[in-house]
Amino acid sequence: MYVREAHPTDEWQMKSNLKDKDDVCYAQPKTLEQRAIIANDFIKRFKFPLPFGIDDMSNAADNAYSAWPERIYIIDESGHIAYRGGMGPFNYKPEEAREWLAARYGAIKHELPKSTPDVTPASALGAVAPAPGALSTPARAAPAK
Amino acid sequence: MNRFWKWTAGVFGVLLFAAFGVLSYMAGSPKDAYGMVRYALPHMHRGTLKVGSDAPDARIVALDGVNRFHIRERTHERPLVLVFGSFT
Repeated sequence: MYVREAHPTDEWQMKSNLKDKDDVCYAQPKTLEQRAIIANDFIKRFKFPLPFGIDDMSNAADNAYSAWPERIYIIDESGHIAYRGGMGPFNYKPEEAREWLAARYGAIKHELPKSTPDVTPASALGAVAPAPGALSTPARAAPAK
Repeated sequence: MNRFWKWTAGVFGVLLFAAFGVLSYMAGSPKDAYGMVRYALPHMHRGTLKVGSDAPDARIVALDGVNRFHIRERTHERPLVLVFGSFT
């Protein structure tokens, strides 16, 4: 879930953003279209294979989940918070969430998708509808064992 | 009395300077220390969600920037892992 930028060029940009070989330098998006462009760039650069969503400009998801700058939650089948990760980056621990899932549902074997997700190009945002089957709306999480 | 306040202000200033120095060292630079205080500190203890709380709903935008869906639309029968983050 893409939330507002943590280290944009017009706020708290860090040296690592400049040194990064991927050159991750963005200003804080002021419009939803700008957020969508950055999110699509992320998906494209890293070939991100999972369902993806973007927080809207009211930061509804960020405010509801205290998500910024990064955080992990697991919602159980009854719609309750089952796991609440710490605030990133120092307490952002994917391995902890993975262990939690394994303890509750059993270890999950991941298989990388054979093809990268078909995402709407950033340059075409707002002009072209996503292709059928595109990763534009999230599917459910991986089934529990 | 005047001397007392001078000493108090002096000690306070030195402590403040030392704290900023330590924070700068930890963060990597004075600029990052400022960023930490300005942007990260207000978020440190934000939110009241706990394990067992009802998962809040929020309307999310799809990657096409147009379509929308709700988080709670995805929370039935199976667990849902939410990973929040940004690019920078």
